[in-house]
Parts: sequence; C-alpha cells; structure tokens
Amino acid sequence: MTITGEVGAWNARESATPAVVAKGLTKVYGQGDAAVHALRGVDVSFATGAFTAIMGPSGSGKSTLMHCLAGLDTVSGGQVHIGDVELTGLDDRRLTLLRRERIGFIFQAFNLLPTLTAEQNIRLPLEIAGRQADQDLFGRVVETVGLRDRLGHKPAQLSGGQQQRVAVARALISKPQVIFADEPTGNLDSRSGAEVLSFLRTSVRELGQTIVMVTHDPVAASYADRVIFLRDGLLVSELLRPTPQSVLDTLMKLEA
Amino acid sequence: MFRTTLAGLRAHKLRLLLTSLAIALGVGFIAGTFVLTDTIQAGFTEKFAAAADKIDVAVLPARSEDAESSRPLSEAALEKVRAAEGVGEAQGLIRGSAALVGKDGKAVGSFPTAGISLPEGPLNRTLITSGSAPKTATQAVLDENTAKTRGFAVGETVTVLDSKNVGHEFTLVGLFDIGLDQQLAYTGGVGFTTATAKAMTGEKGYQEIDVAAAEGVGQEKARDAVAAALGPGYRVTTGEQYADDLVKANGADDQLITMGLLMFGLVAMFVAALVIYNTFNILVAQRTREMALLRCIGATRGQVFGSIVLESAVVGGLSSVFGLLIGYGMGTGALSVLIAIGAPLPSATAALAPRTIVVALLVGVVVTMGAALLPARSATRVAPIAALRSQIEEQTFRTGVLRAISAAVFLVAGTAITVIGVTMERGQLALVVVMAGGLLFFLGVLILGPVIVKPLAAFVGWLPGRLFGVPGRLALDNSGRNPRRSATTTVALTVGVTLMTLISVLVGTLRLTYSHKLDEQFPVDYMVQSQSGGLPRALGEALRDRPELASVVAIRETDAKAAGGRPPYRVGTFTALPDFTPKLTSGSLDALTPGTVVVADHTAKDLGVKLGGRMPLRTAKAGTVDLTVVGLFDAETSPLPEMTVPAGDFDRYFGAVDDRQLMVNAKDGTDLDKARKAVEAAAQPYPTAKVSSSTDIRGALDEALDMMVMIITGLLGLSVLISLLGIANTLSLSVHERTRESALLRALGLTRPQLRRTLSVEALILGLIGALVGAALGVAFGWASARTVTDGVIFTVPVLQILAFVAVSGLAGVIAAVLPARRAARASIVDALAAG
Repeated sequence: MTITGEVGAWNARESATPAVVAKGLTKVYGQGDAAVHALRGVDVSFATGAFTAIMGPSGSGKSTLMHCLAGLDTVSGGQVHIGDVELTGLDDRRLTLLRRERIGFIFQAFNLLPTLTAEQNIRLPLEIAGRQADQDLFGRVVETVGLRDRLGHKPAQLSGGQQQRVAVARALISKPQVIFADEPTGNLDSRSGAEVLSFLRTSVRELGQTIVMVTHDPVAASYADRVIFLRDGLLVSELLRPTPQSVLDTLMKLEA
Repeated sequence: MFRTTLAGLRAHKLRLLLTSLAIALGVGFIAGTFVLTDTIQAGFTEKFAAAADKIDVAVLPARSEDAESSRPLSEAALEKVRAAEGVGEAQGLIRGSAALVGKDGKAVGSFPTAGISLPEGPLNRTLITSGSAPKTATQAVLDENTAKTRGFAVGETVTVLDSKNVGHEFTLVGLFDIGLDQQLAYTGGVGFTTATAKAMTGEKGYQEIDVAAAEGVGQEKARDAVAAALGPGYRVTTGEQYADDLVKANGADDQLITMGLLMFGLVAMFVAALVIYNTFNILVAQRTREMALLRCIGATRGQVFGSIVLESAVVGGLSSVFGLLIGYGMGTGALSVLIAIGAPLPSATAALAPRTIVVALLVGVVVTMGAALLPARSATRVAPIAALRSQIEEQTFRTGVLRAISAAVFLVAGTAITVIGVTMERGQLALVVVMAGGLLFFLGVLILGPVIVKPLAAFVGWLPGRLFGVPGRLALDNSGRNPRRSATTTVALTVGVTLMTLISVLVGTLRLTYSHKLDEQFPVDYMVQSQSGGLPRALGEALRDRPELASVVAIRETDAKAAGGRPPYRVGTFTALPDFTPKLTSGSLDALTPGTVVVADHTAKDLGVKLGGRMPLRTAKAGTVDLTVVGLFDAETSPLPEMTVPAGDFDRYFGAVDDRQLMVNAKDGTDLDKARKAVEAAAQPYPTAKVSSSTDIRGALDEALDMMVMIITGLLGLSVLISLLGIANTLSLSVHERTRESALLRALGLTRPQLRRTLSVEALILGLIGALVGAALGVAFGWASARTVTDGVIFTVPVLQILAFVAVSGLAGVIAAVLPARRAARASIVDALAAG
C-alpha cells in the first residue's frame, strides 16, 4: 500500500494532464472456484509525452493491464480514461472508433497484413478511419524508421527488424494519444531490438509521443523514462530513469 | 493412427459438416432419381400385373417390318380363337380415333380423342368409376379427365365424329378411369360397345384379342391351343408374359428419364468433388504442424497419407448415408408432386432397391476419396521440421511449366475440336463434337484457373474495391491471395453457370432463328388445320369469299410411292397465289409447270435425283408419271410437302383430295380480332377444323421452351447450391486461418460490420468471377452448339437472363459468407491475438 501511495504522488508531481489513467482496475477471468484474479485493483496513470514500461514476472497481469488500458478487453471493475474519454462502459463500436482515433498498437509478432506493402500497412489505420495522411508526417516517420527504400515491399520480403519498424511507423502515423507496445522486441535479435527501441525513444523525445510498453527484458525497459512493476495483479513498485541494472535489481527483489 | 484420425474428425465436426452436405446433396440427387424411377416402375408393374391377371392368353398382330402397316386382327381370327380348345371366352379390343365434339361445336383437343371398345364380361379391363358401361349402340362412356375439362356429365348427350367426320349422338352413361394408358392420358378417350367402336373408328379389325381360359385350363396350355388354332402370323402370349412385355416397354421410357436425370446428378457430383478437393487441401495446409508432429513422433509418410484417406472415407461414407436419406425423401416427394399435378403415374410405396443403396454409397465414398487423394499426397510432403516452425508459411503460387503446357494443350485442343464441330455438317454428331470440345476447353480453364483468378479478381473487384473502402480493398487482396484455393472454389460455381448460360443461349438463339426463318418463308396470320383427315375444299372457298381476308393458300397432300426410294412419300401441291413464294435452295417455283416437281433436299438425296433430273412417281389415277425436278428446298423451314407438283397435275394424279391445311392472311388494315372471327365463322361447320394464329403457335412454342429452360435451370440449380457450400466452406476455413489478422485489424480500428463486409465482398468477388467465367463459356459454346443444329443462325444472347445468373451467383456468394463472417466478427481480439 505504501508503494502505490508513492506512485500516485509521482504521477501528480510529474504531469497535470495524464494520457491514460486507470483507477481501481480489476479483471477476473472465470467464475466461482475457478476464478482467476488477473488484476486486483490497479491505480496508475501515464504521463503525456512519456515512455513507460510495464514489467513483472509471468502471470503478474502486465499483458492484461495493457489490454484493458487499450480497450481490447473489458474490465471487471474500476475505470480507464484515455485523455478525457472513459473507456469502461463504451460499446464495441465506440471502443473501436476510439482505438481508431486515439490509440496505436505494436505487437510482438504478426503486426502486418501479409497482403499489403509496407507503405499500405503504414497508412492502414488512416485509411480505416477514412483520414488523409499528413504527407510531412509520413515523410518524417518513414525517414525516422529508415524505411524509405522498403516501402513497396511486402512483409514477407522484410526482415523481422524491418517488419517491427514498419509497425512502429504505422503506430506513429495517426498521431495517437498513446501507443501500446506489447513486447515489441520479443522476436528480434538484440541489434534490431535496440534499433526499434531507439526509434520508440526518439518518437517520444522528438514527436512528443506517449508510449506504454509491456516487456520482460530489463534492457528494453531501460529505454523508458519510467518502469512500473506488477506482481499478482497489483502495482508493486516503480523506477524513474531506469538502467538495465536497476531494473534487474528491482525484478530480483520482486521475485524473492 | 486410426484413433488419431477419428479424434481429428470429432474435433473438426463443424468444419466437415459443409463438406458432408455437398456430398450428401449430390448423392441424394442420384439416389432420389433411382427411388423416383424405381417407384414409378414398381407401380406400373403392379398395375399391369393386376390388369393382366384377368387375361390368360393375349393375341397380337405379328410384328411386321414397318410398324405402320401391321395388320389388325380379323373377325375370322377372333372366331378361330373362340373355337380353340380350352378357351373359355375371347374378346377383341378396338382402338382408333373417334373425335369428341365439345360444347363449342368443335372437336376437342389438338388430337382426336381415342375411340375404344369396352368388352362385356370378366375380360373388361376398363374401370367404370361412375354410371355404367355402354350396352347399346347409342351409349358411350368418357374418361374422367376429359369429362371434367370439357364439362360433360353422365346423362348428357355427346356428339362423336366417326372416321368420315360425320357426327353421331350418344347418351353418356358413365365415366371410366384411364389407368396408366399414356395415349388415353394424352388424347382422352370415348368408350363404346365393341360393335359401335368398330363402326365409329372405322378400324378394320382388332388391335388385340384377350382370352380367358376355360375352367381348369392353364395359361400355357391355352396359349398353345390358341397358337395352334391361329397358325403363323400372330403373336400369342400368356397373360403373365403379356404383363412382362408391357412393363418392359414402359421401362424403356423410364430408363431414358433415369439417364437424363443422372446426367444432372453427375454434374452435381463433379461440383461436389471440386468442393471436397478444396476442403481437404485447406485442411491439410492448416494442419501442417499436426502432420509434422505426427512425423516427428515416428509416423511414416504412408501413415500420414492413410490417415487423410481414411478421414475422407469416413466423411464420404457418413455423407452418403445422409444423402441416401435425402434421396429417399426427394424421390417420394417428387412423385407426390408429379401425381398432384396430374401426371398419369401410379402411386406406390417408395422403392429403395439394393442397387440404389449400393450405387449411392459407392459414388459418395469413391468420389470423396478420389477428391482427397491429391491433398493426402501433399500432406505426405510435410517435413517433420515443420512442427518446430512457429508460423505457417503463406502458400505461394507460381505458374509451373507443366501447368502452362497442359492448360495450353487442353485449350488449343478444345478450341480446335469445337471449330471442327462448328464447321462440319450440322447434326447430332456435330453437336457431340462441339460438346467434347467444350469439355476439353473447360478442363483447360480448370487447370489455368489459379493463373487467371488474380487478374479476374482485380477486374471484378475494381468497383467493390472502390466502393467499400478499406474492407473492399482488403477483400480484393484476400480473394487473390491463395489463387489455387480461389480458383477451385470459383470453378465449382462456373460449372453450373456455364451450363445454365449455354442452355439459355442455345434455346434463345434457336427460337429467334426458327421464328425468323418462318417469317421469311411465308408470314401467315392464321392457320386452319384438321384434327384428323382433311378439310373439305368448301372451307377454303368459304374463306376466299370473306372480305376481311386477303389470301388463302391451301396445301394438299397424299402418300405416294416413287421408284427407287423408301415408301411412301408425301406428295402434295398448293393453290398458287402471287404473294406465296416459298424459298427454294435451288431452281425456281416459276418453273413449276405441268409435268415438273420441286423436291425437299433430303428426299432428293434419298432418291438420288438432282436438279433437272427425272423421277418416276406412281400415282393413284394417272399411273406412273415421269417428272422433271425443277427445284429443291429445305424441308425444315418450308411449308411445302416433300414432293410438290402443280395443283392441276395433283388433281389429275390423285383426284380431289381434301386440303391438309389452309394458310390465311388478313387484309391489310383489318382488325385482327375481326379477321379471326371471320376465319372461325367459316370453320364453324367443320368440327375438326382447328384455327390457330401465328402468335398462338409461337406462344405455345415459347411456353414449351421456357418450361424446358426452367426445368433444366432448376436441375442445374443443385450444382450451384453445392458450389455455394464450397464458397462457404472455403471462407470459413480462410477465416480460421486469418484469425490473428482479423484481430489485428480490429485492434487498429476496423469495426465489426467492416470486418463482416470484408468477408462478404470477398465472397461477392469469388461468386462474380465464377459466374462471369461461366457466362463467357456458356455464351461461346451456346453459340457453337446452335451452329451445329441449324444454319443461318441468328445469334442472340439473353442478356437479362445471364445478368440474372451472374447477379444471383454474386448474391448467393454473399449469403454463403454470412456465417463465416459472423464468426470472424464475434471473435475476441485478445484471444485471437494470443491464438496460434
């Protein structure tokens, strides 16, 4: 309880207008004896323009937390706000529209549609929303992730690192209020992973993008401004300006 | 391995349900055909046997070379039979024409009603349903149908024409059931006492003599006695044998119907085979990892192959049993419908012959297993290492050299054979050649399918791609994504649409061509024809006197023999008129002067005479005359008798023969209703004279053709239905494959309706591709087929009909996508992302 208190204090101190806020978030799978409490009451907020990593051992609820925050899954209790919109209680259609307008996604694998070229994949969220791409932004994003000469390729013709960079570009192009990244480097070798992570950090620094990333890799987490730790469905700790070593130490403490 | 297969089947119950349905429908159609025809046959056998029970011996005229001149049995023969030892009773049966005159004073129907005799006593086989049998020369009975449709009741007086078209009045004393007599069902019938029937029909003898043996005399013994009494020249059979013969004669018709229906059944099974092939292909692709795992833990290639083949055998077997049940239901249902609409068929308990069961099961299992062989073989190529790969690779497709060459061979051969068929002499052989060419060409398209499906998808999907935004674009991409799968799915639909289009083009073209040819020959407003015999020349004269009518041309004809040809020929003439100029293929009608003749093409060929040649003709009044051929014409489209001589000559050769038909044109500017009334008024005194207008005739023809097209389209509808099951199946399997993709799209903001639309548009594109290819093939080969039937074809494409086929196919595709699309849209994003 003391730790969550401190987290709340940090949030209030750092940013007056958080991008994402969750209050008393609970998630229960199943019923009765078989019920699994994935989230047991999580209060957390994510500052606008910050890069936050969510960590925790397997089964700690970090993926569930992300799914609930992003409106991919329904919550059992509590509230989630993206900006000024409360997610909880929206029907499927409004949730879909909200995702379309305000949220970007990067997944661990299977991020791209195999039938579309890199460029079509990048523009896909805008097209779904029926919006025109900002040509300047498109150019800048493509330049940032270094895909200029790969735009006409299909995903099958790209390396794993390149595919994830396309996914990053796609997440950035619609200028979402927040990007959720689920183990974005999980399938990459360390060099490609480092590249993708620096792009994410650059987009936070230079474009003011808000990013929430789930990872189990201390090195990946160290690219973030802040790391929060989950265990057994509860927020238990956090780190500001993390290094791989400090993240690892915190994790060791949690496992103990 | 066996247990793995069964467990797999249980796990994929739903997935295989659609496949099973495809097989079951095909098998059901085949089984239904057998059940229907077997039941009809059984009913006939039963009734014939019951009817023949009354007869111990039947005497029929000996079969002579040509059926026309088979002589009826004489009175003397009947006396001989009666006198034979062991004969209890013998009766002769009369059957001829005796035209019933309706309440409007005209003979009823297009053909004269049959006049039959009703013998008294136990040998009577005609069932009187109300009233009594005729006992005197002024009593008659009528069949129930005719009485009902013509509004006659027992107790009324009816007029019946004798063989000389003289009317006689009878008191209607009863009604009878025609039973299974197909001729009576068609013409209707009037029954008399034997003597009256003989007088009315003008028949010179009996058609059949029925014998009841004396007490204690067996059928064989009675038959031998009768045969001995009659001597040669007769067919004498026992009653049992007689019933068997009747059943056999009827069975020939039955077999023809069976064969016709089975053709449609085969088409349906072919389509089902395509659907099965596709389904197993997809199943194998999706279970690559499962197969690889089996290989990893020690299964041999043979075992993997066996497990797929076993799976197909189980699916085929179960579906065939299901199909057999469907067929039993369809067969009995169809029979009840046929009887309900008045077909003269016996009702009997549905027959499920062992042959039906064996054929249905065999066809279902063999087709299913055969279609699964190739997919099973590709399953054996899965390397054990595939079990370790995390993602299933997208199937890529490249046009192989073998595919290109074999497709080219089939397409070129198909085209060449079709061209040969079109250019050869028209007739049945040419049609068969064109059909063979069409089949080869179709196989070429089938092989080429995966190559052309992508460009076709781009073409067909251009508009939906623009219209439906992202869902449309995604659908377009998806439809061309797995070309082999899409091609097989759509070709299944193409089969049905091709055949439907072909029939509608062929019928439309022939209809237009013939009606155009008839118009060209001699546009007639009204035609007066006799129901039987001729029209007195006075009728023609009366018509010529009418001021409303402009021209009346009479055609007269009679039979005559010509030396060196088959007897007899139809020799005739026409009453000349300036505006009656039937077309000749060579020579000129102007040259038709006394002592000359114009001859139909085929008759000239038959006789071996040419234009300018001479031919002897045996005439009734002038002996053998030697005629000069001055013209040839096409018998198919010409109203002229096959040998046409000048009118004066005709009378000299054959005497004052009645008119066969009168072709009448109204005067320009005369109200057509008035003109028709004038013609009818002139024809009123002649009960057998039937007036019809050209629109009547064309209307009746159109109705018959439309009916035919409808029936064939309906029967082909089954194969279309099966191919739609294939579309549904392919889509649901694709949905399963793309679970994560759909989840990604949903996460990126694609709404549920949009996701559903993606699937619907994909199905629409697949349906349209299949339909368009089918329409193109159908139009091309419909044209080619029409060319083989007649020359001077005026090609027409029933655009609306074909558009309807295409639209229905597209729409049906969308309907087929409803369930798979719902499943895709309902899936939870989080679960789907985690899957695989």
